[in-house]
Amino acid sequence: MKKVITGNQAVAYGAILSRVDVISAYPITPQTTIVEELSELVASGRLNTKFLKVESEHSAMAALIGASTGGVRCFTATSSHGLAYMHEMLHWASGARLPIVMVNVNRALGPGWNIWSDQTDSLSQRDTGWIQLYCENNQEVLDTILQAYRIAESVKLPVMVVLDAFVLSHTSEAVEIPAMEEVDKFLPPCCLEYTIGTQESVAFSVITTPEYFFEFRYKIQKAMEQVPGIAKNVDDEFRSWFGRGYGAIERYGKEEAEVLLMTSGTVTSTSRIVIQKLVQKGYGVAGIKIKRFRPFPSEEIREAMKGAKKLAVIDRNLSVGIGGIFAQELRASLYSGEERPQVFGFVSGLGGRDITPELIEEAIQYTWEHRQPEEDILWLGLRK
Amino acid sequence: MGKQILITRATEMPDIPISLGNMEWNKTGTWRAQRPFYEDKTPPCNAACPAGNDIVAFIQKITQGDFEEAWNLIKEENPFPGVCGRVCFHPCESKCNRGSYDEPVAIHALERFVADFVSRLAKKTEKVSAEQRGKVAIIGSGPAGLSCAYHLAKLRYSVTVFESFSLAGGVLRTGIPSYRLPKDVLDEEISSIEALGVEIHTGVVIGEEIRIEELKDYQAIFIGTGAHQSRVLNIPGEKGRGVFSGLDLLEKVNLDGKVKIGENVAIIGGGNTAIDVARSVIRLGKKATILYRRSKEEMPAFEGEIVEALEEGVRIRYLVNPIRIQQKESLKRLECLRMVLGEKDESGRRKPVPIPNSNFFVEMDSVIIAAGEEIETSFLPRGIGKKEGIVLTQMDGKTTAEGIFAGGDLTSNQRTVAHAIGSGKKAAMAIDCYLKGNDSEGAIRQILVGNGPSISIFKYLHPGERPRNSHLVTFEELNMDYFEPSRREKEPKRSPKERIKKIVEVTSTLTENAVLREAERCFSCGTCNECENCYIFCPDASISKKGKEISHQVDYDFCKGCGICFVECPRRAISLEEEAR
Repeated sequence: MKKVITGNQAVAYGAILSRVDVISAYPITPQTTIVEELSELVASGRLNTKFLKVESEHSAMAALIGASTGGVRCFTATSSHGLAYMHEMLHWASGARLPIVMVNVNRALGPGWNIWSDQTDSLSQRDTGWIQLYCENNQEVLDTILQAYRIAESVKLPVMVVLDAFVLSHTSEAVEIPAMEEVDKFLPPCCLEYTIGTQESVAFSVITTPEYFFEFRYKIQKAMEQVPGIAKNVDDEFRSWFGRGYGAIERYGKEEAEVLLMTSGTVTSTSRIVIQKLVQKGYGVAGIKIKRFRPFPSEEIREAMKGAKKLAVIDRNLSVGIGGIFAQELRASLYSGEERPQVFGFVSGLGGRDITPELIEEAIQYTWEHRQPEEDILWLGLRK
Repeated sequence: MGKQILITRATEMPDIPISLGNMEWNKTGTWRAQRPFYEDKTPPCNAACPAGNDIVAFIQKITQGDFEEAWNLIKEENPFPGVCGRVCFHPCESKCNRGSYDEPVAIHALERFVADFVSRLAKKTEKVSAEQRGKVAIIGSGPAGLSCAYHLAKLRYSVTVFESFSLAGGVLRTGIPSYRLPKDVLDEEISSIEALGVEIHTGVVIGEEIRIEELKDYQAIFIGTGAHQSRVLNIPGEKGRGVFSGLDLLEKVNLDGKVKIGENVAIIGGGNTAIDVARSVIRLGKKATILYRRSKEEMPAFEGEIVEALEEGVRIRYLVNPIRIQQKESLKRLECLRMVLGEKDESGRRKPVPIPNSNFFVEMDSVIIAAGEEIETSFLPRGIGKKEGIVLTQMDGKTTAEGIFAGGDLTSNQRTVAHAIGSGKKAAMAIDCYLKGNDSEGAIRQILVGNGPSISIFKYLHPGERPRNSHLVTFEELNMDYFEPSRREKEPKRSPKERIKKIVEVTSTLTENAVLREAERCFSCGTCNECENCYIFCPDASISKKGKEISHQVDYDFCKGCGICFVECPRRAISLEEEAR
């Protein structure tokens, strides 16, 4: 069934179709309409899910950690300051190997007070042990949530599904909503090895001395390393059920390209038009959409960029002191490879400023014309 | 300690730091500095009930839908749930902690429902088994006498009650109009007392046919003859034709159902009797005007009764004091003085002071004097001490005469049905002590409800059972996070027109659904009702559900004494004390 819905409604559909057992969330713009939609469905009895009202995002995640330990499927959504407030519990969820799925609607962190799109909130959580998947459109949002539970429950790690504030969250698009019974076949009920219950005495997350702690972290890394393979299988299976798939990255444009443009989130949609136009003009350019940020798709990128001389990265985020975070991750992952193209790190669109086709073209043109960047951070659209 | 698992490498480890053994070896109770424990305390309603009803307990039974057990709990202390549910001035409700939150629980309405419900079941009181301990005579079959008789019978005494009127019930029958207390409700509760083996001899006037001194067969005597003498005004003409006392009128209406009276009736007085008389007069189809010498604020009658009287067409004239009643053919001509309020008197009310030369006249067909009641003492044996219009008794009801006890209106100025029931019960217990040679005052101190003065005869009969700390739970000690405001259920009331047409009850009993809702409003102060907050909140899983008798207990092997159960208990049924080590 095709419906014209907002990104946040797509999130709600994703949660409903995943038959989540427990939802716990605290409202924050621009995530609020997700929680409103879900809580109203629960309150009206149309959605058979336990909805836990909480006094903060920290508690929302803490509540889900408890619920997930009980072996049920859990969901929450947040944004910006709410996500930052959850930080401690994010570590706990991954450390306890709980397959919680959370949606984060990218929003800038204040001050200045700002509710618009900016990826710094989710990227600041890159070291918490969560898988992170960025979405380009509302269909992808819905589909990614369904895939996220499969991945999370296979490797026992939490997944953050990320979408842009307003550009997706509050913008309506046509979305194919899969039938419940189809989703049920794709996504069976979740099952954990150890769950809390009343029958056996099991103590979770017990004190772990230096003798063992190290190995537990090693095991999380090993689980993370399984994600690319598992996610690929899940994506392939999804494609066979529903005819749509996304991959960890997606390459588009000219096959043999001198300049590659790397983007994530909705900037990719705009970039597709710019790349198409430039290819038509005869430029050897292509685009790479990065969907999966954690684990970082180093292998996939190395494969996709073969032959390219320069990589332009547009980051709608800023790690103050180093620059755009995608660019930084990319540099780190390329360093050990044989091919080390120049990385042009553009930072643009912070706090929701539009990243227009003109700006994207400017970035590509700059990269095309320069052998190497004049600065570590190339400010795109900044009024100096 | 449980088994230890030795792991040498990551591949042997589970994915998460988990203990598959249990932690029971770790007795965290040793960390405890304070100790929580379950301890029921006294709710203010229980302590305020002159009859000593365990109100919280019977309401809890109502919430469980067990109306019969609720009735049993009331009957442990009080043989008159149907009467009290209707006519008691319910001091329990004025002390109800819910009153500090929204409105007090309608306790009287719950009691009334329970009484009516069980009466429909035609529940019969069992006669108490044979082995009798001794004979006790009771003079007066009002609430005090019958309460005393009831409890003595349950204590297995052979009890004989003497009543001067032709029917038992005392003031419940002769003084309280049927529109407040239907006679069948009273009859039923009296017969359930008789069913215990109590013999009631009606039409026997002690002091005329038999003198108290002649009741030699009885090892003890309880006198509960009430206050049946109308107080005189000491004004000229009050003994004249067509001038009645309020009690006489009520007696006639209640016993004979009719009385000859004029069209326009003046009632002198401002107490409950005056109101009862005025409303009875209205029901006889006549016009009633109350003349009261003070103002509305000083009126001793209950507010609700005054309101209902006014609704029914009773007129009240305030600050009017009759000083002379003159006969003018069939008319009575009352000479009155207008009054103003002066300084406060010893009752705390402002004293009425006559305005000089304010004399005026009121013409009426009949005059009824209802200016208070006094006790009749002429029949009392010599040696019984009296003071300020009441018979002197000790706290257990003992008079100054050997083996003679007294209670009710005869011994107290708190002239209410509930006080009378309470005093009769206390005397029954004291008579039991007296006949066994035990110290009754000591016994009373053991069985006080809260800090008294009410007593629980259940405690007397079952020492140690259903223990309650005497501490009165205050509103501040409750945790209001767990309650939501709700409306008090109101008993449906008939319209004034309907209720004066024939003698029907003014209010009707709540429906079962309304009663269940109302009972849910009870905070259950100081009394565990198994809400399980403690069980849910205990971070150490140290609260266990025990069984039927004691619902919950603390596992001190593991309780760290954090006090969360104490704080989250909505009703202060948990106490916290410093750990003694």
